[in-house]
Amino acid sequence: MDLLDRYLQAVKKHLPWQRQDDIIAELKANLEAQLEDKEAALGHPLTAAEAEDWLKQLGHPIQVAARYQPQRSMIGPALFPFYLYVLKVAFLWATVIWTIVAVVQIAAQTPSELTVLAAVLRVPGMLMTTAAWVTLIFAIIEFVAARCPGKFPMLAPPAAHWTPGDLPPLGQQLSGGRKPRSFAHALTEVIFGFLFLVWWLLVPRHPYLLIGPGVLYWHASPFQLAPFSVLFYWWVVGVNVVQLAWRSADLIRGSWPRPRTAQTIVVSAIGLIPLGLLLSVPDHAYVLLRNPALDQARYSAALTSINLSIQWSAVILCAISVLELLWGIGRLSLDRYRKHAAAMR
Amino acid sequence: MTIKENIFENLRLELRRGCLTLAVLAQLRQEHYGYTLRKALAERGLEIDESTLYPLLRRLEAQGLLSSEWREEDKRNKRFYRLSGDGEGIFVQLLKEWRAINASIDNIL
Repeated sequence: MDLLDRYLQAVKKHLPWQRQDDIIAELKANLEAQLEDKEAALGHPLTAAEAEDWLKQLGHPIQVAARYQPQRSMIGPALFPFYLYVLKVAFLWATVIWTIVAVVQIAAQTPSELTVLAAVLRVPGMLMTTAAWVTLIFAIIEFVAARCPGKFPMLAPPAAHWTPGDLPPLGQQLSGGRKPRSFAHALTEVIFGFLFLVWWLLVPRHPYLLIGPGVLYWHASPFQLAPFSVLFYWWVVGVNVVQLAWRSADLIRGSWPRPRTAQTIVVSAIGLIPLGLLLSVPDHAYVLLRNPALDQARYSAALTSINLSIQWSAVILCAISVLELLWGIGRLSLDRYRKHAAAMR
Repeated sequence: MTIKENIFENLRLELRRGCLTLAVLAQLRQEHYGYTLRKALAERGLEIDESTLYPLLRRLEAQGLLSSEWREEDKRNKRFYRLSGDGEGIFVQLLKEWRAINASIDNIL
């Protein structure tokens, strides 16, 4: 029957070449025997339509051929949950590293919305590359483990050699009835930290992002920022990069619900440095006159007033940071004392 | 097919998969080639698609549970299968397991 031969030829095309002749010979013998029975039952050779219906019931040639293949998957079900976990961790780490590199690159150039936009547009490509590498590595592990079972025990899924003793300890009970930080909260902090950093990097080129329409007045005004402002600016960038990296690492390690007392202390301490810089500016001259010879007489009072308000703002900010630092140190000491007392009981 | 029907169909196929292997091993205590095996199983109430049965025979043979030989019958070369020595041992174990599961289900019901 021509149609059956055409069907078998189509199946053969999708079979592994080493076994295709053998499989087709067997399938042909079985189907011809079945055809004979069918024709005997009907009392006549199958019509073209009946033959088509019969072959259609057998299934599409590709599907039929596929059933002769071993079950194939690039990453099998035993390895798949670990693959997903590693993929998530790799995404987070790639994003953190990329963010730090992007911030440094943007800072090295003149920050503009185009450089920031270009950096943001590179994110999908970076994530796809990360996913491709992780997938490739897991596909190789799966391939080797399937071909040489037991030969490479280090490639076995972690489920095969875990022990309950390796499980992490229970999450810390927060003292003082404080609620552990939720994942959404931790993630929001990272996202907003990143957005703040981008915004801050754009400010030198686009001051309207900081003072809005006041920028027109500023450009027309006789005032300018003192040179110390550049150093201050980069210290703020540095503090925020440290904080963002720390928070991202917390997110990756899964330690975001734990109290961040030590982190708060360190960040508050580092944050005091730019404030200290601000307070140590000689004569608190944060803002200078562009042309002192011409404008000294006219704008002297305004200049003093501006610098005084900046000085007081810095003092207040500094006081808040010191209080935060002391509060953090106090809380850390209290937690340690409570733990120590609990251990002594 | 509705979602419920789809869920049922998937569960039914999952339930049948292991039983089919057991039935094929049981039936191949006598020698058969693919088509007569399919007919024999159908006569006993177990219909199996060709595209499921014939590859299954190949897999079981590759696992050493069946032995096979090409032989001419009715002027046509056919591949005859029967349970191998290893296959008999596995079949007895599987049958015991299946009976235990059956008995447990009966007890639960």
